[in-house]
Amino acid sequence: MRPSHQNALDRWLAAERGDRPEEAEVALVELFEALPLIAPPAGFAERVLARAGIQAVRRELFASRGVRLVLASCLVAIGLGALWLPPTLRALAGIWSVSDLVRGWVQALTGAARWLASLLRLWDLLLAFGRTLTQPLALPQVTALLLACLLASSLGFRFLRDQISGERNLTYVDPV
Amino acid sequence: MKTDAELVAGALRGSQDAYRELVKRFERPVYSLVLRMVQDPAAAEDLAQEVFLKAFRRLGSYDPQWKFSSWLFKIAHNTTIDHLRRGAPETVPLEAEEDDRGGLGAVLADGSAENPHATAERRDLARSLERAIARLRPEYRQAVLMFYAHGASYQDICEVTGLPLGTVKTNLHRARKELAQTMTSLGWGPDVGTAGETGRSAAS
Repeated sequence: MRPSHQNALDRWLAAERGDRPEEAEVALVELFEALPLIAPPAGFAERVLARAGIQAVRRELFASRGVRLVLASCLVAIGLGALWLPPTLRALAGIWSVSDLVRGWVQALTGAARWLASLLRLWDLLLAFGRTLTQPLALPQVTALLLACLLASSLGFRFLRDQISGERNLTYVDPV
Repeated sequence: MKTDAELVAGALRGSQDAYRELVKRFERPVYSLVLRMVQDPAAAEDLAQEVFLKAFRRLGSYDPQWKFSSWLFKIAHNTTIDHLRRGAPETVPLEAEEDDRGGLGAVLADGSAENPHATAERRDLARSLERAIARLRPEYRQAVLMFYAHGASYQDICEVTGLPLGTVKTNLHRARKELAQTMTSLGWGPDVGTAGETGRSAAS
C-alpha cells in the first residue's frame, strides 16, 4: 500500500495534467497535510523572551499582608518566649546537676569497658580454637598430605580449563 | 486551554507565562513559514524571533476581532519580504546541506513508524517538494505556504499580503502549476512507478 502523501502527489500531478484545478487543489492540500511543520531549534521561546527583555516577575515574599501579619505575630511570640527563658533554664539546671552528668558519663564508660572485655574473651576463645586446629600442621606427614592434595587439585583444575578452552577454540570441530 | 485573545490580554497585563505560551503556540507555524521563505535556518531563526519581538512591541495595537494567527502571519510576511527585498541571496539549497539544516527533508526523514523504503521515499518527496517551493517567486511561495501548509483562507491571505482576492487566486493557481511542473521535472508523477528513485536521481 502506498503512503497517503504519495497518493496525494500522484492525484495532484494527474489532475494538473488533466487540467482539473479543483481536484488538483484538494490533492495538494492533502499532500501538504502529510508534511509536518518544522520545529525551531531548541530553546527558541526562551531566546525570544530574553531578547524581548521579559523577565520572570519575582514574587515578593513579604508583599502579602497576611504573611507580614504572621511574621509580626511570630516575632512577638519569640519576644514573649525570651521572657520565660531564664526561669526555664534555672528549672532545668535544678533537674540536672553536675554530679548527675558525671554519674551518667561514668556509667556509659563502664558499660563500654564491659562490652570490650566480653569481646576480648571471645577473641581468646577463637585464638585457642585456631591454635588447636593448626597444631597437626606441624607434623611432616600432615604437611606432605596437604601438599599432595594441593598438587592434585592444581592438576585437576588445569585439566578442566583445557577442556573448556578446547571447546571454545575456533578450530575446534564438533565431531557429529 | 486559554484562547489566543485571553493570552494576549494576559501578556498585556505583563504575564510572562502568557508571552511564553504565545511563542510556544505559534513558533512552529511562524518558523516553518519563514524557513521555507528564506531557505536558510540561521536567518529563519533570527527572522522568526524578530516576528515575535515586533508582535510583542505592537501587542497593544492588536485588534481582537482579527485572528491572532493572521495578525502574526502578516508581521511574518512583512518581515520576510523586507528581508528578501534587502537583497539577501535567494538560494536553492544543495542536496548535501539539507539534512544538516533541519529542513523539511530532515523532518520527514524521521519516519520511525515506516519501513526504510517508505522513509527514503518520503525523504525524497519532501526534498523535491521543498526544492520546488524554493524555486517559486516569493509572492507565490508565500501564498502557497499560507494556503496549503498553514490552512489560511483566501481572505486571510488577502489581509496578510494586502493583495486583492483575484490576484491571490491567480497567484495560487500559477504557483500550483509551477510546482507541478517542477515536481514533474524532478521525476515525480503518476506514470513513474518508482518515483522516489527517479526523483532522487533527478534531484541530484
